[in-house]
Amino acid sequence: MDMNKETEANNNFFIYEVFSQKSVNASFVHQFSLLAPNKEVALAMARENFLRRESCFNIWVVKRDDIYSLSPEERPFLERIDNKSYRETKGYGDLQARWRYHREQYEAKQKQAESGS
Amino acid sequence: MQTQLERSNLTENEKMEAFLARIDRGEKIEADDWMPDDYRNQLIKLISMHGISEIMGALPEKEWVPKAPTLRRKLAIMAKVQDEMGHGQLLLRVAEDLLAPLGKTREDLMQDLFAKRLKFHNVFHMEAPTWADAGVIGWLVDGAAIITQSMSLDTSYAPYARALHRICAEEKFHAQHGESIVLELAEGTEEQRKMLQEAITRWWPSLLMFFGPPENGTITSNQSTNMRYKIRTQTNEELRQAFLKKYLPRIFHLGFTVPDDTIYFDEAKDQWVYQQPDWEAFKEIVKGNGPRSAHRLNLRETSYTETKWVRDAIMAYGRHVG
Amino acid sequence: MGDFSRVETVEAAKQNHEYTQALTDLLFQLADDDFILAYRGSEWLGLAPHIEEDVAFSSMSQDMMGHAVMFYEMLEQLGVGKADDLAQLRAADAFRNAILVERKNGEGDYNNDPHYDWAYAIVRSYVYGLHKQVRLEALLQSSYVPLTLVSRKMLTEHRYHLMHWQVWLKQLANSTPEARQRLEAAIEKVWKDAGELSQLGPNADSIARYGLIAAEDELKQKWLTLAQENFEKVGLVWPGEPGVPAERGRHGQHTAELVQALATLSEVYRIDPAASW
Repeated sequence: MDMNKETEANNNFFIYEVFSQKSVNASFVHQFSLLAPNKEVALAMARENFLRRESCFNIWVVKRDDIYSLSPEERPFLERIDNKSYRETKGYGDLQARWRYHREQYEAKQKQAESGS
Repeated sequence: MQTQLERSNLTENEKMEAFLARIDRGEKIEADDWMPDDYRNQLIKLISMHGISEIMGALPEKEWVPKAPTLRRKLAIMAKVQDEMGHGQLLLRVAEDLLAPLGKTREDLMQDLFAKRLKFHNVFHMEAPTWADAGVIGWLVDGAAIITQSMSLDTSYAPYARALHRICAEEKFHAQHGESIVLELAEGTEEQRKMLQEAITRWWPSLLMFFGPPENGTITSNQSTNMRYKIRTQTNEELRQAFLKKYLPRIFHLGFTVPDDTIYFDEAKDQWVYQQPDWEAFKEIVKGNGPRSAHRLNLRETSYTETKWVRDAIMAYGRHVG
Repeated sequence: MGDFSRVETVEAAKQNHEYTQALTDLLFQLADDDFILAYRGSEWLGLAPHIEEDVAFSSMSQDMMGHAVMFYEMLEQLGVGKADDLAQLRAADAFRNAILVERKNGEGDYNNDPHYDWAYAIVRSYVYGLHKQVRLEALLQSSYVPLTLVSRKMLTEHRYHLMHWQVWLKQLANSTPEARQRLEAAIEKVWKDAGELSQLGPNADSIARYGLIAAEDELKQKWLTLAQENFEKVGLVWPGEPGVPAERGRHGQHTAELVQALATLSEVYRIDPAASW
């Protein structure tokens, strides 16, 4: 979709993208889009069009024209090389074993001291 | 951007090759991706017809909304028809985004519908004279729709797939809604059973027609385009057989019949052998010459035309506040 | 509110015949108002000005009918009759709804050549909605505890719908001259009937005396204050004191339009009310 051009439809109604939040701890999730003449009407219709059964804590409507996004050609650049273990927990799998080693060393020393006294 | 320039320097042939390679890899196409014209046109045809069928499909059942026989049924059928309108909304949005580069909007789709250029499913041109018809629509027409829609869940066009996922989740409720009405009638009085049998008999040819004419070994260019682009993956006859396998036994289990004396299941071929409906009549029906076509088109056109002032008004308000 | 003590359960209510009678009458008013207006709303299905609005509008009708069902079920618990029978088998003169809610949506039939009036739909829903808001808030103080509980539930759902109608009223009032004109005509039409909404019918005195709901005058004043405030906020001329229709709906007098509506909504059920549907 061309985000730069005014996306007009149906008597110049605009396309609004609808986002919703399931609960206070949840993030907003994109639902779908609808046609509306303005943001108030878009918001007034949003829940019934996309959330007739799900519970809903909050809703946003955003005019599609106001969304700036990557072009199809740019999207593949989002891919990353899988070499970033240093910033993920899986890069630190050795820690537990090392802590255990220190605890065991300590406990062994304690035992020795007890039996020695 | 450098890369964008490089890409746009690709020849049409190269773009086409890259596109087909994406389809073959099972990738999904988005609305703003490059796509060949026949892919776009095929999608527009399929999805706008699907969408407008949902909108027109609300009308035969709508006849029974105020009349539904209990408070619970009144609420359930209202919710169901509302969902159909909602499905129409989703699908029309997908079609509108495909039409946007051609400078067309929902308004054009509506005008195409009124001029009979945009067709809708044969079943929604038919009469629904009793409450049992509402049940049969919910049970068997929605059952047929679930089979075609589920088949398209894996479509190569991502926005259509996303709409279908939402739709199929709700169709499960619709089928249960229909089954519930039908079972109540089937387990009910003589009169209720008679009403249901008549509705099944009345809807039988339309249900067979729902999936379109059989291929008989020859596949139309539309179908082969659809299959090449992975828009859909099964033939009309495969879908119809899936429907018959699922629903015919259930009709028989309830002690009802279909108006086909010679119908039988061919074990060797693993398919139902049935009498063909009148395919010439089918062509006339989808052209807009079915028993209720004019009435329903009139209902939609009148309401749409007479409420133009409303759309104009809220649009005018929109100009002040944005 | 009357000085009557709180009645916690159905059984307790049944101890006092006069109390039950007043309660029954009030519940019929509440149930029938919501039921008949929801029915009118359901006739709009598929015919609204915009597909997205069609979907939204239907939820309001569903929720409103859902509220009617809750009231009919309370009547069923009181032993008045089966909810489905109460909704579908009573004659028009047993209905206690206000005339405003039974008026047709416009010329024509919902299935044959309907020429429905969206301005009337908006104004009627909104004016009724404002009154319902006041009524539900008053019911929070009802002596009949089960009624306070359902009212609290309904209020949340109802406020959301009221917000919807508010947007529509405001936008139509401030858009094109044609819309403004249609809106004003619709207000005039609604206003001729609206005065009946806050009436409590032949048992008004005992309904108030038993503290089932606030007295008519109080309901009316609160509702008119709220309505005037909202009309003026969106730039509409306040139509003043509302009129009352010739028929007295709360007394069981109704128009042919209700008779027609009841025939339609009970058409299938009446084939065999003893059957299971």
